[in-house]
Parts: sequence; structure tokens; C-alpha cells
Amino acid sequence: MRLLLVEDELEIQSFLRRSMEEAGFDVDVAGDGRTAEQLAVENDHDILIVDLGLPDQDGIALILRLRQSGVGAPILILSARRSVDDRVRGLEQGGDDYLTKPFALAELLARVRNLLRRKPVPGNEATRLQILDLELDLLRREATRSGKSLPLTTQEFMLLEYLCRNAGRVVTRSMILDQVWGMRIQPDTNVVDVHIYRLRGKVDGPGQPPLIGTLRGVGYVLKDR
Amino acid sequence: MSSRTGKPTIRSAAWRISLWATLAFALGTMVVFVFLHRFVAADLQQRSDAWLSGEVEVLGEVAGRTPNDALYGQIVSEVAKLAGRELPGATMSGRSVEGSVFFLQTGMDGALRLWVGAGRGDTHLQAIRSRKVLAGQPMDLPVAGVPVPFRVVSLPVPDGRIYLGLSERDELRVMAKLRLRFVLLWLLINLLGFGIVFFTTRQMLNHVLKISEAASGIGLGDLATRVPTSRRNDEVAHLALTLNHMLDRIERSMHQLHTITGSLAHDLRSPLTAIRGQLERSLSAVAIDEQAEQAEPIVSAIEELDRLTEFLNTSLDVAEAKADALRLTPSDIDLDQLLVAMGDLYGPSMAEKGLQIRIRSRGPLRITADAGLVHRLLANLFDNELKHLSVGCTVTLELQEQGQAALLLLSDDGSGFDPEVLPQLFAHRVKGKGSHGHGLGLAFVEAVVRAHGGSVTAGNREGGGALISLSLPVAFQPHGTLNVKA
Repeated sequence: MRLLLVEDELEIQSFLRRSMEEAGFDVDVAGDGRTAEQLAVENDHDILIVDLGLPDQDGIALILRLRQSGVGAPILILSARRSVDDRVRGLEQGGDDYLTKPFALAELLARVRNLLRRKPVPGNEATRLQILDLELDLLRREATRSGKSLPLTTQEFMLLEYLCRNAGRVVTRSMILDQVWGMRIQPDTNVVDVHIYRLRGKVDGPGQPPLIGTLRGVGYVLKDR
Repeated sequence: MSSRTGKPTIRSAAWRISLWATLAFALGTMVVFVFLHRFVAADLQQRSDAWLSGEVEVLGEVAGRTPNDALYGQIVSEVAKLAGRELPGATMSGRSVEGSVFFLQTGMDGALRLWVGAGRGDTHLQAIRSRKVLAGQPMDLPVAGVPVPFRVVSLPVPDGRIYLGLSERDELRVMAKLRLRFVLLWLLINLLGFGIVFFTTRQMLNHVLKISEAASGIGLGDLATRVPTSRRNDEVAHLALTLNHMLDRIERSMHQLHTITGSLAHDLRSPLTAIRGQLERSLSAVAIDEQAEQAEPIVSAIEELDRLTEFLNTSLDVAEAKADALRLTPSDIDLDQLLVAMGDLYGPSMAEKGLQIRIRSRGPLRITADAGLVHRLLANLFDNELKHLSVGCTVTLELQEQGQAALLLLSDDGSGFDPEVLPQLFAHRVKGKGSHGHGLGLAFVEAVVRAHGGSVTAGNREGGGALISLSLPVAFQPHGTLNVKA
């Protein structure tokens, strides 16, 4: 997997490059729009990460030009602006995604993977998810662990489904809020933790190896090993 | 917004101005005409009086010199007829002098001796007798059977008295003609004047109206619009130019504010991103699964960093909203559904703290608003309740539709707001004793509501507990164009 990182801040550039390399990507780095254009046209990238605040040009203009010159890979937009402007929203509808700074690495990785996964073919989507001894029937909205049915509420089922779909990968609180509740908010209370705590109480019974792990300060992970 | 089309012309200012201006002009010209009329009438009378006095003397002389024989009547009547031809205005009017002049002579006994004129003269004599006609002084004499009075002058002759009468017919006709022409011209000029005044004032006021319409349409979203200017160098054009200059200045400072908040956000965010990234990387190096003690300081650093980020975001939002510069992206939201989702999200945390939550709603209530901001607003309110209420309390949320607004009432049965902070609940960085928040919660709530053109009040209920009431317009109404309703 080849990735083009367009970011002018050296510190962000370096930690992003290292993190993405650790995640298994071949990373090309561009510090400005011109280099980015050159690299993108010369090489074939699977995904691009583009920061909007570039020193030489507007990030959106760059993206539009890349698209015009035939770069079809999905783009994850990084923005230092709080309010996402309409042009970014337009790009988002075109299949790209955005993330505002500062972000959690886990979230960045999750979004990159989402973009790479692309849309699944309709009808071909799994109706069952299985992680170790945890099974989810997506049609009947039922979950079992070691064959034993789990009494989950609708909300808890959705949360567990989201964790299962990202099994083995860290999901952050804001990712959970965004994907399960559809809200991009940053509560300064422990609302998500309480949901996870309750879910864990139902999924990880006494004597069973815990499935839902916590990475403090980062988020949660559903273990698949 | 005022509408030009909906207003009948009769109620427009242009109509009123032209009506009053025309009225004043009409009255003024009428007064001038009345004076002129009197002057002309007096002058005409003076001229005919002069003629009468002159002629009567000539006639008196002729009457005195002519021997009193059979030819006397013929001579005197010829002279009288000749005199009639020299009437002032007789040639002008071109009409027969027949009937407009009479000559009458009475004897010493007052009986009719000689009559020159239309008819037999006895009615004239009767009229003369009923009035006292002084010698040499012309006076008006109405005669029965003749519609127009005569101007009569008398002169004593040796054997009686002679009277010369001149009909005021011509004089009256001239005056009537004058009046008719004046009235026609007067009407024409006034109508024309009214039209001119009406159209010019309407044009001018339309320009003013266009300016005010454009100005009221300039919301916060489009400060780039300018009011229409005209090439004329009058007061209205000046007004438009002044308004545009003012808008230029507002736009500049707004732009400056955006630049400042933008670069502040950018300059703070980049290091925050870098720091967070490094922390997260070192955290994953320390411990993936087990909660190592080494990880603790990193974890709390990340948490503090997230709080700092949230604080930065919120204070910039509040600052921008206070300056009416918050950028909104409106979308369609079902408040009822959103409240239920929020209830689901916060329910477990509330239950964990021993709090109850009740949502009363009458079904879907759709509004157009910035979804992200409304989500954060509600999360803020829920966070507040969660942080400040003590065990056993109940939070009640009530959603109602009130006219063109959605009304959200949030109440609880806790201890309510600290009376000390009550007067300034929405102020920046105000927080009650023992509050651990950053003091931006309600300021943010108010900022978002205001930016949507709604209103919010907060206070303590009579029975105890807090009550916050939010009103958000159903249709999107960015603050700034809201109050402009003519």
C-alpha cells in the first residue's frame, strides 16, 4: 500500500510518517503543493492524506487539480479549521473524508482503512460477524458469546457491532460517538465509557477472557486474538 | 422586510409629499390670482369709468349747445351712438355694441325726454329713479329684465339731466374668460407639478427603499454585498456611499477577526496535533494491552490535551458568535429524534449517577440548523446536568412547537443555579462554586442559539431547580436579518 502524505509541519509530518509506516504503508512525503502534484502524478498511490494549510497553495485547489489530472485515489483531508467549510463537505460527498486537527492517531488510521476498504458490493455484505467466540447476527440483531445469548439493548448492539467491525483496531471515543450516535461532539463527561462499561459487563462474563480492552487516553479495542 | 409591491401608492411617502406640495402650490397660486383678478377688475372699471365721464361731458356739451328742436334727438342720438363705437374693448370683443350703451335724458320733471339704446328705456328710467345717481360719479345700476348691470354716470344739463350707461357685459366677459383660462391653466400646472413631484420623489424614495432593502438583506453570511449607488451626487447617493463605506469597514474587521481566530486556531492546533501524536506513539510503545503505571502520566497528558482542544474550539466559537461571525452550515434536523438519541447516549451515565431523565415530546419536530453546533449545544446541556446534579434528581426535557419556533425546556429538581452567578449566567467564563468546567458551557449555548436567531433564558424554578428554555426558529434565520421587519 502506497500513501502520499502532504503536510508542511515537520513535526506532524514525521510522526505521521512513522505511524503510517508502522501500520504497513509505503509513505511518500510532500511539504508543499508543487511537490505533492509532482509525486502524485509520477507515482500510483492507494491513498492520499492532504493538509489544507499548505504554504504555497490552497489545499482544496490542489485536490481539485489532482482529481483533474487523473488521480483517483481516496483522499483524507486534514484541516486546522474548526468549522468544516462547504467545499470540504463537497469533497466528502465525493468519497473523501476529513479530520480536524488535532486528531487521535487511531482515528486517522481507522479513517484511512475505511477509505481503502471502499464501499462493499450491496447484497454481498456479511449478515454475520464472528470474532473468536463472539457471534453477531446482523439481521436478527442478536449477539451470542460461546453460544450463550447476550441481552443487549439496540444501542448496545450497535456499539458492539461497530467494535466488531473494527476488531483488533483501536477506536476512539469520538469515533464511537460519530459512528454509533452520528454526532461529532466532545463531551467532557464519561458518557462513552459508561456505555462501554455496561457492554463489557454483558459481553465479558465472569471467568471468560475479556474481549473489550481499554487503551487509556486513546480508546477501546475489541480483541481478535 | 418591507415590500415595495405590497404597499398601495396612496400610502406611499412620495404620494403624500407630492400631495402636500401640490396643495401648497395650488393655494399659493390661487391667492395670487385672486389679487390679480381684483386688480384687473378694478383697472377695467377705472377705464370704463374714465370713458363714461369723458363721454357724458361731451354729450352734456352737445346737449347744451344743440337747439332744442326736432333735430335735437337725432343729433344727440348720433353722438351717443358714435360714442358707443369708441367703447374700450368694443373692437377687441368684435361684438355689436348694441345694447351695451344707453343714453337717457330726463326733463326737469324727471320724465323721459330722449332714449338712445336697446328697448324703450322705461325700465332703465325706473331703475335710475329707484336709486340716487349722483352727478359725475359712476355707479352700478342693475336694470330689471337685463341680466348684466350697467355702469351709469349722470350729468345735469340746463333743461334736465342726462344719463349715460355702459353695460358691464364686456367687462364681465373679459373677467370670466380670464377666470376660465386661469382655472384651466392652474389645473394643468398643478397636475403637471403633482406628476413631476410625485415621480421625482418616488424615484428618490425608491432608491432609498432599495438601499434599505439591500442593507437589511446583508446578513452575516454575505457581508460582501453592497447597497446600490447612483451616479447622481445627491444626499441619497451620499447615504448609499456612507453605508457602503461602513460595510467596507465592518467587512474588513470581520475578515480580520476571521483571520485572527483562523491563524490562532491554526497556530495552536499544529503543535497540539504534533504533541498529541507523539504522546500517542509513546503510549503505544509503553503498553498495548496491560495498564502499565508508566502510561498513567501520558494518558492524563492526552486527556488534558483533549480538554484544551475542546476549550480552544469552544472559546473560538463563543468569540465568533459574540462578534456575529460564526459560520453556520444549515441542515435539516429532527429535534425529537435528536433528543431521543441524546437521551440514549446520556441515559446510562445519568443512571450510573442516580439521576433520572425524562423526555416529553409530541413527535417529530424538524428545524433547519447547523447540526454539528446543535449536537454540541445539547451535549453541553446534558454534560452540565450530569456534572452538577446530586443523586436522586430528575432531568426533564420538554419539546414543543410554538408558532415558527421550536421550544426546548430543560428543567431539573436539583439545587438550581448559584444565586451569585444567576445575573450573568451567559457571560464568558462564569462558573458556579465547585464547578470544574471551563465556564464556557452556557456562553456557548447562548452563542449557538443566538447565531441561529433564537433566544435562551436560564434561571431557577420557583419550586427549586434550574430551568433553561431555548427557542430556535424552525426555518433557518441567521441572526442579523431577523430583526429587519418593516
